[in-house]
Amino acid sequence: MTKKTAFWIFLLGTLSSTVLFLGLTWDTHRQVATLANVDKLSEPVVAGKRTFEKYNCNDCHTILGFGGYYAPDLTKVVQRVGEEGIRFRLKSPEVAFANSPRKMPNQHLSDREVADLVAFFTWVGEINNNDWPPQDSRKRLSRGEQRMVAMVGVSPGAAVFQTKGCMNCHSLKGTGGTFGPALDRIGSGMTAEEIERYVRDPRDVDPGAKMPAQKDNLSERELDEVARFLATLK
Amino acid sequence: MEYRSQKIAYWYFAAALPLFVLQVLVGLWLAVNYTFTVPQWIVDVFPFSTARAFHTNLLVLWMLLGFMGGTYYIIPEETKSEIYSEKLAWFQLIALLVTGVAALVGFLFGWTQGRPLLEIPMALDFVVVVGALVFLFNVGMTMLKARNWTVIQGTLLGGLVFLALLYLFGIPFYRNLVIDWYYWWWVIHLWVEGAWELVTGAIMAFILMKLTGVEREVVEKWLYVEIGLFLFTGVAGTGHHYYWIGAPRYWLWVGGIFSALEPLPIIMMVFDTMHHVKKREARIVNRLTWTYAIGCAVMHLIGAGVWGFLHTLPQINYYTHGSQVTVSHGHLAFFGAYALLNLTIFYYAMPKLKGIAAYDDSRGKIGFWTMCIAMMIMGLTFGVAGVLQSYIERVLGMGYMVAQSYMRLWMGVTLVAGIFFLAGLLTTVVDLLTVRPARAEAQA
Repeated sequence: MTKKTAFWIFLLGTLSSTVLFLGLTWDTHRQVATLANVDKLSEPVVAGKRTFEKYNCNDCHTILGFGGYYAPDLTKVVQRVGEEGIRFRLKSPEVAFANSPRKMPNQHLSDREVADLVAFFTWVGEINNNDWPPQDSRKRLSRGEQRMVAMVGVSPGAAVFQTKGCMNCHSLKGTGGTFGPALDRIGSGMTAEEIERYVRDPRDVDPGAKMPAQKDNLSERELDEVARFLATLK
Repeated sequence: MEYRSQKIAYWYFAAALPLFVLQVLVGLWLAVNYTFTVPQWIVDVFPFSTARAFHTNLLVLWMLLGFMGGTYYIIPEETKSEIYSEKLAWFQLIALLVTGVAALVGFLFGWTQGRPLLEIPMALDFVVVVGALVFLFNVGMTMLKARNWTVIQGTLLGGLVFLALLYLFGIPFYRNLVIDWYYWWWVIHLWVEGAWELVTGAIMAFILMKLTGVEREVVEKWLYVEIGLFLFTGVAGTGHHYYWIGAPRYWLWVGGIFSALEPLPIIMMVFDTMHHVKKREARIVNRLTWTYAIGCAVMHLIGAGVWGFLHTLPQINYYTHGSQVTVSHGHLAFFGAYALLNLTIFYYAMPKLKGIAAYDDSRGKIGFWTMCIAMMIMGLTFGVAGVLQSYIERVLGMGYMVAQSYMRLWMGVTLVAGIFFLAGLLTTVVDLLTVRPARAEAQA
């Protein structure tokens, strides 16, 4: 090989890859309008992004998988804990994470900033990002449940409880979130049918409820299993 | 040292080393956070996010100082002329250090742009840009005046211009998070897998040529092929970061295919290094510099090549994206490719800059092996933590903190390995700053 051949390998390799990359960049810009719902990119959403950056949230939390790995990914946080759940965590992290081995600082956010952050997370949660992260995927979670039932030996209802994010707000035996009540004795006050109706759409039972409706989040089978599991806790 | 103005490189290296130590110290604090429960009052005063901003920005700062110092060392020998302006080189070193310190102090008070690795606020960004322009002007003018072009120079200058240009894409505020991440990777990925690799290629080619006495013609031919392959795979390989950010689906293909090829140029670099060892025409005087050069090639291959390859295919990345698996890859790759590269040029140049032809490498050897082994263990423990996380959180779908609780043990082991790494690093830094001539019998 002469030096000239080597030079041409360098030039052609670099140019071909660059041309492909720049072409796809142009096309990506075109498609992102639809994939990321740019029509819903309102001023509060942008203000929320600024707030997110102002407090350097991204150096603990990942979002769309990028950032710090110290705290949960926030891509689907609205789906996971609901808007009220986000407000509670932002306003009083020392209460929300009292049981958690990992702590979050209280940034003393204004109500405006909290509202903007919620708008931002809602918009991010609706980005069409090839169904990531897997733990929040509606398509794949049932596989995770099946594995838990098979391998850990828990009941299907307990598997739903652990994998569908119930523990982000509720606790069992002192493990889990503090936003919702502890559920250790829920079965002594409510029947499986009552629990199922409540979980399906809490506001249908109690208009002041803060829990997000689960009717779209859980399948009929999952609603049934989790209610039967909770009714056994007495 | 053949030229008076090469001396400036020494101060770049001497400034970079304490920053490296500080980076590792903050890294240990981060591991403490993962292993133990930090009290709320510390979290409120010095949150993890601030510490992480320290850790990553120090990495970039010390590595860039190393590259710049390396450039100022190499350019006079390549062009056979003095640096265009020593004053500008001094100005730029001080400007960069002041900016770096201002940024770190700013982070403590919440002055940040809030995007990981690009936390430096916009006002400071402009100082960085001025510093980079001064640097490029100085290096460019040296080459222009000397009119003694070589491929090594060209690659070095090309890499540095590319590096500076890409930085611009990280400065603006993007309204759309998807577009923000899209260009964020133009800085991060195209730096480490494009521009920095060009700088690495050039510096390694220079050192190999000097150490082995292999003909320039041969070294430069390899260099062309290597950087051609680096850019061919690395540019479109940026796509492996676009899988889950809301970019079109074809990135799964483009990213998958090009990243699968990314280890090729690195394998070639290892092969090239070994090839030069075999064909060497000069006697190796300083064996440690040599060990560093080979260590850099091998660890580069393991960290960047193998570890990167393991989780860039979309089918695997779907589960490992944004987990400690990435951290494992990041640590091994940065250490293997760039920390060892900088230390190689430090060990090559610093003794020479002090007028020592053959140096005593007994302490340096201990430092090298302690760091390499400790980092390898850290890569493995981060990796175990990452696999646990991927399985418990992503496959089983259990909560984030449930997965983290299983990982704490492994983060604790990482902390212990990190302490050993710090010991190795301190040995190395002290050795570099107080380098002694080898005893006469060792030279014989």
